[in-house]
Amino acid sequence: MNETIKTTKTVLHAQNVRKSFGTRSNVQQVLKGIDLRVAEGEFVGIMGASGAGKTTLLNVLATIDRTTEGSILIEGSDISKMKDAELSAFRRNKLGFIFQDYNLLDTLTVKENILLPISLGKMKKRVAEEEFNAIADILGIKELANKYPHEISGGQKQRTSAARALINKPSMVFADEPTGALDSKSASSLLGTLEDVNKKRGVTIMMVTHDPLASSYCSRIVFLKDGNIYSELYRGDKTRQVFFQEILKVQGVLGGDSVDTI
Amino acid sequence: MLTLFDLVVRSMRKNIKHYYLYFFALIFSVVLYFVFSTLEQDSAVLDRSGGSMGLAFKVAGILLILIAGIFVVYANAIFLKRRSREIGLYQLIGLSKNKVARLLIIENVLLSAGALIIGIGAGMLVSRLFLLLLMKLIGHEGFITVSFSLAAIIQTIIVFMVISTLTSIQMLFTVRRSTLLGLFNAEKKGEQPKKPRTFRSAVLALLGIGLIVFGYWLSGNMMNKWLLFNMLAVLASTILGTYLVFRVTISWLFYQIRSRKQGHLGLNNSLSLGSLMHRMKGNANSLTIITVLSAMTLTMLAGAYSLYYATEKVTRYVMPYDFMFDEDQQDEEWMERYGFNEVSVEEFEAGLKEKGIAYTTETIELLGVEGTYEKGVFPILIGKMEGIYNTYMVSAKQLQKAGFQVETPKSGTLLLHYAQWGSMLKDIKVPFEVNVTSIEPASAFTAVKYGAGDVVNASWGPQFVVNDADFEKYKSAMDQENMLNISEERVVRNVRVFNVADKGQLAIASGIRNQNRSEGSWSHGIDYYSMYEDSIKVNGLLIFIAGFLGLVFLISTGSILYFKQMTEAEQEKQSYATLRQLGFTVKDIMRGIIRKQVFVFGLPLLIGLLHSIFAIKSASFIFMSDITVPTAIAMGVYALIYLTFAFLTIGYYRKTVKAAL
Ligand SMILES: Nc1ncnc2c1ncn2[C@@H]1O[C@H](COP(=O)(O)OP(=O)(O)OP(=O)(O)O)[C@@H](O)[C@H]1O
Ligand SMILES: [Mg+2]
Repeated sequence: MNETIKTTKTVLHAQNVRKSFGTRSNVQQVLKGIDLRVAEGEFVGIMGASGAGKTTLLNVLATIDRTTEGSILIEGSDISKMKDAELSAFRRNKLGFIFQDYNLLDTLTVKENILLPISLGKMKKRVAEEEFNAIADILGIKELANKYPHEISGGQKQRTSAARALINKPSMVFADEPTGALDSKSASSLLGTLEDVNKKRGVTIMMVTHDPLASSYCSRIVFLKDGNIYSELYRGDKTRQVFFQEILKVQGVLGGDSVDTI
Repeated sequence: MLTLFDLVVRSMRKNIKHYYLYFFALIFSVVLYFVFSTLEQDSAVLDRSGGSMGLAFKVAGILLILIAGIFVVYANAIFLKRRSREIGLYQLIGLSKNKVARLLIIENVLLSAGALIIGIGAGMLVSRLFLLLLMKLIGHEGFITVSFSLAAIIQTIIVFMVISTLTSIQMLFTVRRSTLLGLFNAEKKGEQPKKPRTFRSAVLALLGIGLIVFGYWLSGNMMNKWLLFNMLAVLASTILGTYLVFRVTISWLFYQIRSRKQGHLGLNNSLSLGSLMHRMKGNANSLTIITVLSAMTLTMLAGAYSLYYATEKVTRYVMPYDFMFDEDQQDEEWMERYGFNEVSVEEFEAGLKEKGIAYTTETIELLGVEGTYEKGVFPILIGKMEGIYNTYMVSAKQLQKAGFQVETPKSGTLLLHYAQWGSMLKDIKVPFEVNVTSIEPASAFTAVKYGAGDVVNASWGPQFVVNDADFEKYKSAMDQENMLNISEERVVRNVRVFNVADKGQLAIASGIRNQNRSEGSWSHGIDYYSMYEDSIKVNGLLIFIAGFLGLVFLISTGSILYFKQMTEAEQEKQSYATLRQLGFTVKDIMRGIIRKQVFVFGLPLLIGLLHSIFAIKSASFIFMSDITVPTAIAMGVYALIYLTFAFLTIGYYRKTVKAAL
């Protein structure tokens, strides 16, 4: 185990998280008691077969969905006890999201989309403009500022989505298969950016992915199987190449859909 | 193997959520049309509302068919668009276009048949309510029933069979013309706001406003020989202006606002401005139609209600006393000559006493005058009138004694009264000179005021009210037989006026007065009560028809806006989900949506109100009395009902936003 992680501040602490769907007569337990601790500055990957409960876990941790049982603390506050309005404010101020299918608003330009999360804040226009320029530079979408989503490519949309997730300087970013719809070049460019943001800005990132290559950018991988944590993998000081091979091994044991990613 | 019919039944069951909107629109149209044709067919209704109103019913019926047709076709178009994905899916699984069309048409026929049955059933239940309302409006008391009308049922069925044929053809065309790709993207379609070509857009944007302003201006200045042409010009200019405002001006304005924000739109604008600009092109037509329809409806309602509202007042303008007898009518020879058969003053008084009705009576002298008015005082509407004909001079003192409220004019001045000129003279500039030349020497008066209404019943000409001294002076001059060129019959006319103390007894008194009057005969001495009864019948029916049509227009326009917004809400559901995931509360999002609804519902209403205010203003000369109050009431009620659709829409959005996450 890596000692440095234990000593840094815990940003997210999930204890015995359970989540069920369905009616009383037909309950499907999707998460069956997840314990997870994420330290500040970590880049956590979540992997697992389709239907393993990855999206569900991410939604629950990201306060988009509520747990059936268990507690989740983010920066010390118990989100399972918060009211909806508090949760909303919390999401807006502390969290960032990159969705698998971008979820950009068709009616808004790239810039307007990116500035959405800070639209209710009291941020000065000049400051907001600086923030936008900084993040758009990093993601290389500055020239697209006045384009509408339907005028840009999937990769550009995903980068827009990433910029929107990062604009409000969140303490944690959740990403659900951010590279799912991208070709390998766009994917590695986005992942590189995320890694950069993670390293340079110290933003904690949690990313769901099917792609072992994508997960090799992470500092830790959590493998889910049937609603339980199956195993964890730390990158430590290993090179990406070595880490990638390790991930492939675990995935091979897990079974699932690693084949289509190679 | 599934038959086509199985497929229909299945898809109908699955689509019930989409159907109910269209189904409701159909049922609603059937109910209103059926009620209307029931009333139209009911001969009893026509008799009570004064016979000659059959034509009004006919015209309204045609308008109703038109509106119902347009409304149903429009609702069907929205409905088809919402189902485009499903239509595409059928084709994807291998149904031919013809088969899909046939499937939709079978559905349509089933729906229409269902709507007809339910609509006629519901129509039978509510037609009584509408009949009661109509009877109340035309002042009919007592019990009546609606007779079951087969003709109305048949008429309704025929009309809606034609309409459903239209919608079937519409479905056929939609399916034939569709491409698979288009069908799957139809829901997402919306235009991206393009950068407007600045110069052209700015010019057109200003032209839109300019045309409306010009229309308003012309509507206040169209009283000349080009009246008809002017009216058309006003219509064309305002309608075109309205279209340009929705099509160009607003997009242009929005674009200016948005580019000024430089991307810092804020949540409220993102949800209102962004979404509106996204669909402005597609919405321009319907917003224009809704605005023009609203303006028309508002004008019609305000006009009809003003007439109805002022019935009593206007009748009093023409009949200031409950009863009046001309001296002529006491003259047997005269009566015989003109074929009148009326009760005499003596008979009338005896009748009143017998029934125990308290009354006051007075004699008023009317002196014929001729002469000229000062040049150019009368508005063009009345004509370039300069000569004084057919005019009487009356003493203020005699009027006051008879119970008519009038001030006493100073010596040498007169008050001009004439109900027929109504509010055409409302803004006449006083004082002006009046030269009375029918006596020697001619005498000049100054008209100092245009008074409301006539000072005696059935006057048939203008009246000059002067003070008693002037009156006597003129009268004695007449006695000296220095009258010039005035016809003998017009020289002097003595009338007896009666006022009944308890107005509740007017009906009985009117019965005594008209006891000899045979059905349909013209009566020289028609009284206040009979005239009021006749007017309230006409005006009551008018407001009923106007209200009925107005309701149909209103509900149609309101529903169309509601349907359109419903579709938009569904299209933007994903956006709301995203926003909520990003941490915006339902309340935050609703604020932006309400702002959008204020625009979608508010602007057509506002422009429609403005249009109708100018329309009413330009037509105000046809009303004898002031129309501010009834117009305000009619417009207020309209706005209130209209705004309930806005609230329904906002409710629907709230539900959508809440369910989005
Ligand atoms: N809202 C819901 N209602 C009912 N069941 C749900 C719901 N959301 C998810 N599930 C079920 O929970 C299980 C896990 O779903 P989840 O979306 O978390 O899987 P996943 O690991 O993200 O899969 P994938 O890799 O395919 O995205 C699935 O069996 C799914 O059917
Ligand atoms: Mg998933």
